[in-house]
Amino acid sequence: MTIIMIILAVIGGATLSIQAAINGQLGSKVGVFRCAFLTFSVGALITGLLIFYFEPRHALTLLDVPKWQLLGAMCGVPYIVIMVFAVQRIGTAVATVAVIFGQLFMSMLIDNFGWLGNDVIAFSPSRIGAVICLGIALYFIHASGKDTAKTES
Amino acid sequence: MQFILILIVVMGGMGLSVEAGLLGPLGGEVGELWATFSVFGVGAALTFMLMLFFSPRNSPSFFKQPSWTLLGGVLGPVYVVILTFTAPVIGIAMTMISILMGQIAKSLLIDHYGLFGSQHRQIDRKRLMALFFIVIALILMAQG
Repeated sequence: MTIIMIILAVIGGATLSIQAAINGQLGSKVGVFRCAFLTFSVGALITGLLIFYFEPRHALTLLDVPKWQLLGAMCGVPYIVIMVFAVQRIGTAVATVAVIFGQLFMSMLIDNFGWLGNDVIAFSPSRIGAVICLGIALYFIHASGKDTAKTES
Repeated sequence: MQFILILIVVMGGMGLSVEAGLLGPLGGEVGELWATFSVFGVGAALTFMLMLFFSPRNSPSFFKQPSWTLLGGVLGPVYVVILTFTAPVIGIAMTMISILMGQIAKSLLIDHYGLFGSQHRQIDRKRLMALFFIVIALILMAQG
C-alpha cells in the first residue's frame, strides 16, 4: 500500500513538472497571473464535472466542515505571488532551494505533531538520515540551478 | 534584504505543505474531488482578482496561443487529487519527497529531450546526483 502511494505521489510530481513546463511557456506570453487564473479555473471546471458525474454522496459537505479546513488555496496561492516577486531578485536556484526547504521543514513538523488533523508520524533516526540526504540533494539542485541561470543569461 | 526575501520564499514553501496537510483530512471527510474542487474554486477566485488588478494590460488573448499551452489546468487536478489520496496514508513529508523526486526526474527528461517547447539541454549530472540522494532519502523514510 505504501509503495503504491509513493509511486502515485512520484507520478503526481512528474505531472507537476509537465504542468510547470507548459505554464512556463504560457506565462511568458500572457503573464503569470493570467496563466495561474487559467490553471485554477480550468482545474475547477474539470473537478466540477468529475464531481457531477462520479462523486458518491458524503455525510459531510464543504459547508459543514470547520472553516479553517477550507484554507488550502489561501496557503497555495501566496506561493505563486511570492515566486513572481522573489525569483527576479534572488534567482531561480536560491528560490527553488528555499521553497523545498520550507516544504520539507513544515511537512516534518506536521507529521511529528499531527497538526491539522493528520496522523502523528514521529521524528526518528532514519528520518534524520533522510533529511541529511535531502540536504545534499538540495545542494546539487542549487548547483544545477546556478548553471541554468548562467546559460540563460 | 536578500535574507528577508529568502525567508518569505521559505514561508511560501511551508504554505504548500500546510495546503497538503489540510487537503488530506478534508478529502477524508467530504471526498477527494470536493476537497480538490475547494482548492481550485478558491484559487480561481483569488487569481481572478490578482489578474484583474495586477496583470499587465494589453497582454495577448488566450485564444491567440497554441491550444496545448493551455493544458496546465488539466494537469493541476491530477496532482491535487493524488496529494489528497496519498498524504493521509504515507504522511506529509514522504508525500512531499516523492513529489520532489517525480519533479526532478521529469524535469531531467523534459530538458534532455527538449519537450513542451523548452530548450534542449544536456542531461545534467548535478540533478542526477540530486535524484540519487532523494531516492536514498525516500528509502530511509519508508523504513520509518
